[in-house]
Amino acid sequence: MQDAWLMPAIPGAAFVILLLFGKYLPRKGDWLSIAAMAASFVIFFPVLADLLDKVDTEGFTGGGKSWEWISFDTFTIRLGFFTDQITIVMLGVVSFVALMVQVYSVGYMKGDSRYGWYFTCMSLFAASMLTLVLADNLLLLYAGWEAVGFCSFLLIGFWWEKRSAAEAAKKAFITTRIGDVGFLIGIIMLWKQAGTFDISDIFQFAAAGGYDSTYLTAAVLFLFAGAVGKSGQFPLHVWLPDAMEGPTPVSALIHAATMVVAGVYMVARMFPLFQLADPVALDVVLGLGLTTVVLSATMGLVATDIKRVIAYSTLNSLGLMFVALGAGSTTGAMFYLFVHGFFKALLFLASGSVIHATDRQDINDLGGLAAKMPLTAAVFGIGTLSMIGIVPLSGFWAKDEILHSARDAESAIIYVIVLASVAVTALYMTRLYVRTFFFQPRDRQAREHAHDAPLLMSAPLLLLAALTLVSGFLVFDGVGEALGFPGGIGKFVFAEEAEAFKFSWEVALASTAVALGGLLAGFAIWQEDAQPAKRLGERFRPVYELLFHRYYVDEVYQWAINHIVLFAGSVLAWFDRNIVNDTGVDGSAGLTYLSGFQMKFLETGKLPNYALAISLGVIVIAILFLVLKA
Amino acid sequence: MLWPAMTQLNFQWELLAPEFILVGWAGALVLLDLFWGSSAGLRTGRIGKEPLGYLAAAGAVAAALVSLFWIGDHKNFADLIDVNNYTTLFRVFFGLTAAFACIASARYVKDRLLHPGEYYALILLSVVGANGMAAASELLTAYISLELLSFSLYVLASYDKFDLRSNEGGLKYMLLGAFSSAIFLYGISLVYGVTGSTHFNAIGEVLKGDTSDIDMALLLGLALMIGGLGFKVAAVPFHMWTPDAYEGAPLPITALISALSKSAGFALFLKLFTQAFLPLIDDWRYFIAALSVATMALGNLVAIQQQNLKRLLAYSSIGQVGYLLMGIAALSPESASALVLHMIGYVVTNLAVFVCIIIYYNWTGKEEIKDYAGTAERAPFLALCLSIALFSLAGMPLFAGFATKFILFQSAAQEDLLWLAGVAVFFSFVSLYYYLLIVKEMYLGEPAERTRFPTPWLEYGALSLLVAGVMFVGLYPQPVYDAVEDSTATIFAAVEDSAAVSERP
Repeated sequence: MQDAWLMPAIPGAAFVILLLFGKYLPRKGDWLSIAAMAASFVIFFPVLADLLDKVDTEGFTGGGKSWEWISFDTFTIRLGFFTDQITIVMLGVVSFVALMVQVYSVGYMKGDSRYGWYFTCMSLFAASMLTLVLADNLLLLYAGWEAVGFCSFLLIGFWWEKRSAAEAAKKAFITTRIGDVGFLIGIIMLWKQAGTFDISDIFQFAAAGGYDSTYLTAAVLFLFAGAVGKSGQFPLHVWLPDAMEGPTPVSALIHAATMVVAGVYMVARMFPLFQLADPVALDVVLGLGLTTVVLSATMGLVATDIKRVIAYSTLNSLGLMFVALGAGSTTGAMFYLFVHGFFKALLFLASGSVIHATDRQDINDLGGLAAKMPLTAAVFGIGTLSMIGIVPLSGFWAKDEILHSARDAESAIIYVIVLASVAVTALYMTRLYVRTFFFQPRDRQAREHAHDAPLLMSAPLLLLAALTLVSGFLVFDGVGEALGFPGGIGKFVFAEEAEAFKFSWEVALASTAVALGGLLAGFAIWQEDAQPAKRLGERFRPVYELLFHRYYVDEVYQWAINHIVLFAGSVLAWFDRNIVNDTGVDGSAGLTYLSGFQMKFLETGKLPNYALAISLGVIVIAILFLVLKA
Repeated sequence: MLWPAMTQLNFQWELLAPEFILVGWAGALVLLDLFWGSSAGLRTGRIGKEPLGYLAAAGAVAAALVSLFWIGDHKNFADLIDVNNYTTLFRVFFGLTAAFACIASARYVKDRLLHPGEYYALILLSVVGANGMAAASELLTAYISLELLSFSLYVLASYDKFDLRSNEGGLKYMLLGAFSSAIFLYGISLVYGVTGSTHFNAIGEVLKGDTSDIDMALLLGLALMIGGLGFKVAAVPFHMWTPDAYEGAPLPITALISALSKSAGFALFLKLFTQAFLPLIDDWRYFIAALSVATMALGNLVAIQQQNLKRLLAYSSIGQVGYLLMGIAALSPESASALVLHMIGYVVTNLAVFVCIIIYYNWTGKEEIKDYAGTAERAPFLALCLSIALFSLAGMPLFAGFATKFILFQSAAQEDLLWLAGVAVFFSFVSLYYYLLIVKEMYLGEPAERTRFPTPWLEYGALSLLVAGVMFVGLYPQPVYDAVEDSTATIFAAVEDSAAVSERP
């Protein structure tokens, strides 16, 4: 665990080298980026082994290494890296998926004019994300948090010549920034009272009752605002579907498996504070998570862009994780995060293969690809079934955990809503799969040249598919013990509360029933020519319109920006132009310039004047000395 | 006050090993130059003496490394020269500064100047003088060292003997230097007359206690010494030689004057005022503060008006002196450390700027700000490094200038000089304008041609080191701060030691 800092450091070093010398390296340095990521992933295992060694010792709460960064008088800031059971889960997901995605990208991005820049950004992203995960204090966490946001901005707008990509990058950056401001306020609030940024110290301070309950509640809600922005929760969810303008591997890594779950991770990491705060904090988490689940699942029903549908499913999944957190089950959230990383990256990369092969990404243009791309169809199917939650795929076990916590929550309505969302998820995921891979192609030309991706791109798909199949079994104590863990994932991650695996036939059967129901309904509705779907669309025209326009949230925001923000802006702009700029800035600048101009003539270039100045200086000082002293 | 007889003095000559190395090396360079090809060949560019520069740099580095041997020691040579952490810090610092100046000179001297052997020898001798100023424990040694440094620089400033500006700048520098040396010497004699000693600690001891009936001659002496040192560090109104000398001198020498001469001046200023005049701080601190304000104001405001990059840097360096004087006005262990830290950061940054300008001058022979239009396109690495250095000079976060200024301003604020820190922040803000002007020119200006410049690998290597230093101090100032704190602690410890001595019955 002492050496965990190497995990971000190596990709970070690769980033610096690529940035400065990338152009001169063979193959623009893609191998360096991948090698650094592989090294990082390899280091993960000794770190894990070390953690497993120590995890049984009494009173273990994680460990790491920190350095004094600044220390003047009483003002000290330490920065360091910290590993415990929650971070290790995240570390595994991030380093593995990042490696897979980078390998896949070699094929996907081949021939792009900014190929080298792509890998430079990827290295920076990996370094920032791992820093975020490992940070032992809020300041470093925030730095990583902002850095991944910046990478996300660069990579969404990777093809910035396309106006929509540039717009999407801007939208993502600005929307998440709104949450980030809240996050920063929360950090400052916590620091102000505790006097430290160190997370463990803040926990101790809070546990000792250092924070006033209302104050702490406000602080954690501000922290949560950051998570809302980063993890695309309502009402800041609008950027994530648009973020699909970036290259598909980017969507897989940043907008599915890692960066967007940073919000979930952060809340899980700071969970002791949420528990100490007023229950209203967790209710807010639960409420927003639930809202996001409902909105995203229904919007997924009408989207036609293959990547956007998956993006809505990501929002859906993120919502579920927050529901789990809100219901108090960090285990459920982290377990879902873990398996979600694999199957969602799989779905994105597989959809990338489809786009790569056909050059189309609207499902109305696709269809009938199963015969041409059997491998892609198979792994896409595995991912889809896992997202739907069909036993025994990993998604089933993780969703089951969340359903349990929802059922145990205060209100039965939560359980019902989550269960309903399972059905809707099954419906739109089936639609996506059927429309892409079955029946006759709507665009024959696209199908003509379609073929499975080359080995370099298929290998990551197969590995991720394998993990999607088996990673869910980690929930069983027996499997965990066989792998050297102290038990199933619940027992491992939260040893002290021993949140063991819960299983009840009632929940499992209910979820399987609705999932299968949704699946079959999906088959029924989106047949060959999708007639039932069209009829439904006509019948419920207003609903369809509402969903198609994404509940008009974007429109409302645009209206607010046009009428409120821009109006306030114009008032401020007037003030800025006339008062601040013309009077304040230009006035003072003119004054400064003028005084410099006047003083310039003191420098005459004549030697006697210089000597006179020296003499006068000394004489004035001497006289003042004598006068003041006398 | 009795001082030990000559026989009891400590004559450990090895304490001066770094200086011996420098002097010997300087002599060797002159001889080497003499027997290495002819000057005529040199002028036609047929026989390059570029390696002389690298040899000289090696000598300076060797002296710096040897001086590391006395880390943690408290030795004194013949009651004249201290060898302690303060001395060691400055020996290393001056040695490395001179090494960078030599490396930056190599190509410049080969192309433009005659007699490279003497040129490098004088640089090394100026380091001896600078070392002496930091190490001296009494006034006459300090004065002689100051003269050694100054004389080397007078010659170097007018080294481009076929250039009128170089002659003019060098001559003005020398005449005014002689004038202010006389002022400084007069100050020394007055202080000696009142206190009966030239040793810093002995003076400090005499001035201890009740200072209300202090002799007026002493204050006059103090005023004269402030004038002399003010000339050396270029504080307003003793600064007027600076723009002319900067503009006239060969570029690497401008770098050397702005780095070596200035920091040696501050090394002496700080040590003298800590060990000798600290008891009178309430009498002189407001004068220094006033000088500081005047220096900041004039340097930063007039810099805005400059079109020549060297003159701009001359005024910007005057502005920086204003900040540094705050450390003296607020004299305390913290502010002394902050001063030295800011000085180191400033010198490293300034060297980076000058290396950039020298490289550019070697390419184009131009040094007006408008000549830098579009440099980013023709030499992106140079433009990046120069921008980083300029941002650091302006005191932007991430770079050395921010961290060191922050600590310096904070230390001043702690000594009830919050208003002075406020003024300094204001002028830092003003300085952004002219620093950014250069950055703007480089990145937004239209280049005259679009061809890339050839890459000077060695200079770029030196530049990378300096920029890495700027970033390092900016992001992680702790190690340098600790080293500086160790060194300034020794001069304050000396004050307390002598206090302990005087309390003995």
